[in-house]
Amino acid sequence: MRTPLLLTTSSLLFYLLLIGPFAGYLQNRPFIERIGYVPSFKVLKLVAADHKEVTASFLVMKVLMYFGGLIELTQNEVAVAPDYPAMSRLIHNAVELDPYNMDAYYFAQAILSWDVGRVDLANKLLDHGMQYRTWDWQLPYFAGFNHAYFLKDYATASRYYQRAGELSGFDLYKNLAGRYMQEAGRTELAIRYLSTLEQGEKNLAIKKSYQLRLIAFQEVQRIEVARDEYQKKFGRLPASIDQLVQEGLLTPPVDPYGGNFYLQPDGKVATTSKFAFATKEGSEPAQK
Amino acid sequence: MSAISIENLTKTYRGKRGAKVDALKELTLEIEAGEVFGFLGPNGAGKSTAIKTLMGLISPTSGSATILGKDITTPDARRSVGFLPENPSFYDYLSAEEYLVFVGKTFAMSGPELKEKTASVLNRLDLWEARKRPMRSYSKGMVQRVGIAQVLVHDPDVYILDEPMSGLDPLGRTLVKEIIKELRERGKTVFFSTHITADVELICDRVGILVAGALQTVRPVQEILAAGVVGYQVKAKDIPQELFSYYNADSQAEWLSVPKADLGPVMARLQAAGSTVELVEPQRKDLEAFFLDIVAHSQA
Amino acid sequence: MTSMISVTLKGIFRDRVFQGILMTALIFLLIPTVSLLSMRQVTELSITLALSLNSLIFLLLSVFLGGTMLWKDIERRYSYGVLGLPMTRSSYLAGKFAGVALFFLLTAIVLGAATFVVVFFASSLYPPERPVQWEIIALCLFFDVMKYVLLVAIAFLFSTLSTSFFLPVFGTIAIFLAGGATQQVYDYIHSTAGDTLTPLVKQAASGLYYLLPNFSAFDLKVNAIYGLSTSFSGLLLTIGYFLLYTTFILSLAALIFSRREMR
Ligand SMILES: Nc1ncnc2c1ncn2[C@@H]1O[C@H](COP(=O)(O)OP(=O)(O)O)[C@@H](O)[C@H]1O
Ligand SMILES: [Mg+2]
Repeated sequence: MRTPLLLTTSSLLFYLLLIGPFAGYLQNRPFIERIGYVPSFKVLKLVAADHKEVTASFLVMKVLMYFGGLIELTQNEVAVAPDYPAMSRLIHNAVELDPYNMDAYYFAQAILSWDVGRVDLANKLLDHGMQYRTWDWQLPYFAGFNHAYFLKDYATASRYYQRAGELSGFDLYKNLAGRYMQEAGRTELAIRYLSTLEQGEKNLAIKKSYQLRLIAFQEVQRIEVARDEYQKKFGRLPASIDQLVQEGLLTPPVDPYGGNFYLQPDGKVATTSKFAFATKEGSEPAQK
Repeated sequence: MSAISIENLTKTYRGKRGAKVDALKELTLEIEAGEVFGFLGPNGAGKSTAIKTLMGLISPTSGSATILGKDITTPDARRSVGFLPENPSFYDYLSAEEYLVFVGKTFAMSGPELKEKTASVLNRLDLWEARKRPMRSYSKGMVQRVGIAQVLVHDPDVYILDEPMSGLDPLGRTLVKEIIKELRERGKTVFFSTHITADVELICDRVGILVAGALQTVRPVQEILAAGVVGYQVKAKDIPQELFSYYNADSQAEWLSVPKADLGPVMARLQAAGSTVELVEPQRKDLEAFFLDIVAHSQA
Repeated sequence: MTSMISVTLKGIFRDRVFQGILMTALIFLLIPTVSLLSMRQVTELSITLALSLNSLIFLLLSVFLGGTMLWKDIERRYSYGVLGLPMTRSSYLAGKFAGVALFFLLTAIVLGAATFVVVFFASSLYPPERPVQWEIIALCLFFDVMKYVLLVAIAFLFSTLSTSFFLPVFGTIAIFLAGGATQQVYDYIHSTAGDTLTPLVKQAASGLYYLLPNFSAFDLKVNAIYGLSTSFSGLLLTIGYFLLYTTFILSLAALIFSRREMR
């Protein structure tokens, strides 16, 4: 009688002592460890049985949590390189399990195109999704944006916008063509796209990532306006951003991704952060 | 037509790795309608095996049997049979009442008849108070009583009971013996197994003794008891000295032990000597001794 | 047989299986909250989670209730008393099976109601772009129940083959996984990727495909979640498949059970 009682109380005591450090250890485990290993979709498909859709949702959630954690950390200035290949792999697995999962496509569009710079992968996923989600206007809308903004393939972009318009019943997307389908309108196209998405987003992590990017593009737009003013005034392109600041045309811009803005020789605005947090592998940045 | 007819029934259990147990060897037996038959044998003799085969729970290795003319391989053979398994166990989440109703229904009883019969049987077996409780709260003896009750509830013509008295207290044993006697009076056939000779002595018409799977003998109980008389104890006053010294084995005053054959002459001598005979008591080898004899014999 | 059904049902209820289900069903309360994690498909996620929870409960029931049903009767020696009654082994088996199937149906009604409430609530928080197709969700639940009833039949078949509960429990789980995968494997070997396989492997796989139950036909989750229409004739075929396959498995089980020694 006494031994079990002793064991119960002492084990409870030690448990209470242990649980603090244990939770701390788990909390501080590097992110890369936290996203963990996920078996290939071929295996998952076999063992998930009639829970494929849930498994797919679970994978998307896993990526989302991981990403959410990263965003939270960047707010506190801790730069951690996100494991984009792992995230991309999980998203691919998810759409293999449930080709209808909108969260997967949406997240892929949000991350692959901008942060990983793999617009080709994003477009492939979007096309895949369109085969299944035949009623969904968002997928062609995303594809249209990708083609217009990143690939500058305005003809294809128009086709996608056309389709988005038909599916949604809004003419807005058809009309996008005229104004933005040219080099000069790129920044505004992006700002418009981002603010639309930002407003409709309820996931805080994703919303924050939109907000960051939106701030970056608004900064770019400010620089562009100042640059154009400079050019009007002096008849030539400014040599640097500092010049714009010195002339009083611009208050110093801040890159939310921690980089420095600079002007390319042809006058285009760029930043050393390439509009993304440092990537783990040398994946291509979103904008050159 | 006999109530139960068993012919050359053989059962060989095949265990793992080819182990074989000849549990029942060529059993041939007729149980007449209306008789109470005691199936007596030591533990492991094969009594339960024979009964399980009769009830279709296991299939015979060879041989056949019928109950009221119906082959035991058909469920029809069990239509008019009440069966009590050895150490029975019933759905323990049901109450005794519910189980009896379930049994009654499978015998196509229903309505007020079933209700009435259930109530009377529960009362008879002293389960009335506990009838609504789930059987998992019953003692071993109570479960055994439920076993007897579920046999009686549908009032069959043939009763096959595997060790009906086991697990019961003296009161319960007496009750079951009474019930069996009543069944005989009502012309029912009872075939029950036991390893206790006293049970057989009191209530059976006939007894069959099974040892190591083989039937040794089938005899009317009365005949065994009669044949078992080996001598007499005679109590008399004024016994002549020569008789006393010859027949008094244990020096008890007034008592003589007289072998069976000598009873006539001894009585004549006593009468001639003017002694008063007060009591003549037969001395018999009881069923137990008979049983032990047969077991010892068959093992030799 | 009806009395066998009612005894079986009583047993299931009195062993507090239903309370266990209700406890597990408390997870339903979490579904709306968890669904809010979704970025673009809150309602769809709530349907996904609710349907998967239903399937999980039924899987556990099939394996642990269906797989131990006969074993328990034999292990606790209830079967001596019951099979000594003038009841055929087949009707004993059929009664037990019908009892479990009926219990599944009752459970499905309760869990279905919970599903509807949860999905309705989630869809009122974030109205989905396309209206929820309630009838497809109901259809999905119904076919799910059919699938797991078929799995119970398989558990019964395993129970008649073995005296322990290991075969029924683990065999049923194995068949469940295999039955969910057969269609995929079949599709794979008949695709160009399957050309590398030897003909023998292909034939063996095809043989297994026809032999093993095909559970993917009963899976209407995608239809229910995304409101995709179902093929009426396909569903009729599936019902026919269910009836025939279950009858076949059960009669095979009855055949084996009739020869089984109750020693
Ligand atoms: N299931 C079984 N498998 C193998 N042997 C068995 C089995 N059941 C009983 N036996 C053997 O058969 C013999 C007869 O057993 P049983 O009929 O139970 O005897 P009884 O009821 O007379 O005590 C015994 O030797 C017993 O060990
Ligand atoms: Mg016995």
